[in-house]
Amino acid sequence: MAISPTAWLREQSHPVRRLLTAGIAAGAAQAVLMCGGAWLVAHVLAEAIFAGRRLGELWPALAALPLLAAARFALTLLQRQVTFEAGARVSASVRSTLEERMRRLGPRWAAQQSSGDMVTRLVDGVDALIPYYAGYLPQVALAALIPAVILLVVLVADPWSALVLLLTAPLIPLFMVLVGRAAEQASQRRWLRLRRMGARFMDALSGLTTLRLCRATAREQALLEATGEAYRQETMAVLRIAFLSALVLEFFATVSIAVLAVLIGFRLMWGTLAFGPGLFVLLLAPELFMPLRALGTQRHRRMEAAAAAEDLIALLAVPAEEAAVAAGPSPQVFAAAGIGIALEQVSFGYTSDRQVLHDLELSVEAGTRLTVVGASGSGKSTLLHLLMGFAVPQSGRILINGEDLTTLALASWRRHIAWVPQRVHVFQGTLRDNLLIAAPQADARQLERAVQAAALVPVIARLRQGLDTPLGEHGQGLSGGERQRLALARAWLRDAPLLLLDEPTQHLDAATAAVIDGALAKLAEGRTVIRIAHRLDTIAADEQVAVMADGCIVEAGTASVLRASHGAFARLLAADRAA
Amino acid sequence: MNARPPDPRDAPFADSGQVLRRLLGLARGHRGWMAAGAALALLSTLSGIGLLAVSGHFITSMALAGASGAAINYYTPAALIRLLAILRTGGRYAERLITHEATLRVLARLRIWLFGRLVPLAPAGLGGLRSAELFSRLRADVDALEHAYLGVLIPLLVALVVTGIVLATALLYLPVLALWLLLPIGLGGVLLPRWAMKKGAAPGATVVECAETLRTLAADGLRGRAELALYGTESAHAERIAAATIRLQQARRQTNRLEAISGAGVALAAQLAVVGVLVFGLPALHTATLAPPDLTMLVLLAMAAFDAIAPLPEAWAQLGATMASARRVFALADTPPPVIEPQAPSPVVHDDGLSIRRLRLSYGALEPWVLDGVDLDLPQGHRLAVVGPSGAGKSSLVGALLRLYPYQGSITLGGTPLDTWQGDDVRARIAVVDQQPYLFDASLRNNLCIARPDATDEQLKKVIVQAQLDGYVASLPQGLDTWVGENGVRVSGGEARRIAIARALLADAPILVLDEPTEGLDAGTAAQLYQALAAAMAGRSVLLITHRLGGLSTLVDEVATMRHGRIIECVPTAVYLGVFSGAERASAASPAGQVTGI
Repeated sequence: MAISPTAWLREQSHPVRRLLTAGIAAGAAQAVLMCGGAWLVAHVLAEAIFAGRRLGELWPALAALPLLAAARFALTLLQRQVTFEAGARVSASVRSTLEERMRRLGPRWAAQQSSGDMVTRLVDGVDALIPYYAGYLPQVALAALIPAVILLVVLVADPWSALVLLLTAPLIPLFMVLVGRAAEQASQRRWLRLRRMGARFMDALSGLTTLRLCRATAREQALLEATGEAYRQETMAVLRIAFLSALVLEFFATVSIAVLAVLIGFRLMWGTLAFGPGLFVLLLAPELFMPLRALGTQRHRRMEAAAAAEDLIALLAVPAEEAAVAAGPSPQVFAAAGIGIALEQVSFGYTSDRQVLHDLELSVEAGTRLTVVGASGSGKSTLLHLLMGFAVPQSGRILINGEDLTTLALASWRRHIAWVPQRVHVFQGTLRDNLLIAAPQADARQLERAVQAAALVPVIARLRQGLDTPLGEHGQGLSGGERQRLALARAWLRDAPLLLLDEPTQHLDAATAAVIDGALAKLAEGRTVIRIAHRLDTIAADEQVAVMADGCIVEAGTASVLRASHGAFARLLAADRAA
Repeated sequence: MNARPPDPRDAPFADSGQVLRRLLGLARGHRGWMAAGAALALLSTLSGIGLLAVSGHFITSMALAGASGAAINYYTPAALIRLLAILRTGGRYAERLITHEATLRVLARLRIWLFGRLVPLAPAGLGGLRSAELFSRLRADVDALEHAYLGVLIPLLVALVVTGIVLATALLYLPVLALWLLLPIGLGGVLLPRWAMKKGAAPGATVVECAETLRTLAADGLRGRAELALYGTESAHAERIAAATIRLQQARRQTNRLEAISGAGVALAAQLAVVGVLVFGLPALHTATLAPPDLTMLVLLAMAAFDAIAPLPEAWAQLGATMASARRVFALADTPPPVIEPQAPSPVVHDDGLSIRRLRLSYGALEPWVLDGVDLDLPQGHRLAVVGPSGAGKSSLVGALLRLYPYQGSITLGGTPLDTWQGDDVRARIAVVDQQPYLFDASLRNNLCIARPDATDEQLKKVIVQAQLDGYVASLPQGLDTWVGENGVRVSGGEARRIAIARALLADAPILVLDEPTEGLDAGTAAQLYQALAAAMAGRSVLLITHRLGGLSTLVDEVATMRHGRIIECVPTAVYLGVFSGAERASAASPAGQVTGI
């Protein structure tokens, strides 16, 4: 059962309850000081007008006023500071929980996500939580607390006025609930509408080239205009209701001030009330409604936080594959110079009805090479993922030098793997950072050797700051071939006994391809190599080949033999030639 | 001062007048709504202030009357109080409605205007918008402009007028007080917020920078998760995120503090104003130059006036952001269109032959020539493939043909120079399957019908079959009404490509340009697609750009090989396929080369 966003948001506030309480206490203390200030003003005026006191006699009260104001100033700062701290802590802890979650969900899940959307959730979504704890949540408490303080003070100063306020004030929450339900829905719809209208505009801009090619720009412009007009009318219809709740609040706030003023005025004339308390109450009346009004302006923060929370809850509820982190009961540190691999009846699927691999049998001796081929979707990449521990087979065993992979400490097993992926990710950072990520301890000599071996030297020469050139989205881009060389250099630095290669399908120019092939051949020497080949014309005659189809090995043997045998490999080869 | 890049917030108001005038110019036609909204905002704010001031005056008069036993006219002030209360309440509601009406109207206009300005720029002039970051900045900029009226203009205007009225009133009753009141109003409404803004520029920049860092780290964590996991650097990655979060929050803490100072500063200033009124008012009261009710009124007036000052800190902050956004949007909108449309209508021709001579094209003054002397003919009804390694300039050819990019040399369509054609008329004759077809956030049907909104169901059905899309459409539960695009079902690259092909076929143009149409398709589907296209385009011209050679003979008669921005050879398909044997062919068209050794 999914938890509601509001409940989840409240749950997150438990660890920072003290900070929130302190903030609320500061807010309430501020209200008390405000009452004190109002009393001083009323007192000074009453004494001056009705007792004929001079400025010289009233100076202590006048001097106290700025002091009180300064104390209120300090309390406001304190309140903002501690409640911000509460929000910041919650958001930081949610962020680290999410990162932990990403880790559990693993690379296979990450690869399926649309990254723009997910980045928005992870960064902007988490940041949207801060104002909820820093602003909205304390204000909810203050909206109840401050009016109560003021009512109490008014009750002491002038019970009749307190009665008037008591009659109008409780009606506000009541009316707010009545109107608020509708208004909340209405304002949510309005928010959604504005967003949808913006989204539609941005959609048109993203597809501008396509619109031009289809000669549809004039039509789209007219359509944007028409939908803009329709949105405006609908939105205004929604707003007429949404603003009603504000109208109700405004009405009661204003009317109670007017009624109080008139009542106080007449009672003053009749002499049943002293001027001091009368003015004091009039000064306090507008303040009674202030926290409620402030709550209204904070409402959008709650909505934004709730929207973000909904996304985050969904993210936290994604079931993790029995993946990476699930190591065996007593993980052993694994160390070996040569790696022999055997898969015994390995089955794996995302869901029970969609098996990607079933009953896969495979064995690769230490120090030998195997090339895996097969149509896309036949499970080749999944095979590599299982070997790297990104996922765990649902049945069957993967044996590493005879030991079950699930009993090994994953981190120490992974230290034995070098990987050249099909799509190389370039991390934000310098080229050096991007190399050292594979082997943080590598020294300058090792780095230089890897750079040489992977033919990165001309690339570095091209880059303005050499190895220290920033790469990634904000830095310089690398071409497909250059990325491949980066991956090779990483694999070189890794210096691991098992080499997993996922060949790029990207079309590299002939010279680059030759360079990379040479480097790969050198790297492969003396290691166990499992290579996924996408282009079959690149397979040499003497290579050991395993052909995958529908999640299992359907054919295995030497390339030259398989080519001649009119089996699955020969069919793949024919299809490849035709394309 | 340490050197940092110029920030618009440092010198925000250099050309502000001009930018503001331009923004207001965009609102032409809706100025009535805007003025009405501002007037109502002013009315309701003044009514609120007046309500308190009159109430103060009233109760003091009543108390004095009670004490002295004198008669008093209480009808007028009591009625005034009721009137102000009604004006305040009703005015507020009306104000909100009218200001939102104005905002929505201006916003719709702004978007339509911007769209119209960006159309001729796509794609050549919008190179930068391809990056997601710049695109989301444009989105934020447009959003910020939406708030210019409600969040900046109205509060500033109301505060200015209210200050004027309060000062005038003070001047009337106690001139020295007007001078004093300038101090807290200036302090709370202008000086303190502006100081906070200035102080907040540096942490504000840090916030932006850290958020950006977090975004790239999050993207790294998604796209590079496999590398992170394999290299055992996930903990280090998490630490980097934590460190960026700490820096971000430290900067936020500072901006939060500055906001709190300017917010609480308004309340402090209000108290100073009240103290001022008392300090100057009490002696005046004693010398009887100021009546007691007037003193109470002035106290409440000073206090309430700060209701209009309170929104100023926020408005000042918004003003800076709005100006920066407006400047960026205007700069983008003012980009000169890369291709100038001719004034005269397009020539009338009865032949659709294309002829290209010495065509050169580059993506910028300092960029190398992507096309460097292309000569190519595509007579009406001919079918030609352009092959060559990636980066040879194949796709740039499409950009020049469709009048999206400026070029040198000559292209003629039906014997008339292409640059005497209106861009839309060229694109009516040449339908194209883009290399990156965009799917709109709309139904599949709407996505198909873009080039031909009046297409019938039969026509749709026909092109769907031709584009080998029938199986896919049949597999969708809602068929053609399935929502695709950003908020719709996921569409694979191959499916998107075929949707684009169906879209182009529906346009029913005499020339069809296909840019890598079989990318993402398996060999069997690709072969069927070529066969269907060959039938569909009978008698019309086809220009096929590809690096895959399989099945070429079913669709095209000739193959032109492109390399380094030039056509190096153009031969009949059979000759081309015959001359090259397997290995050579592979390295000529898509030189992955012979990979051997491992």
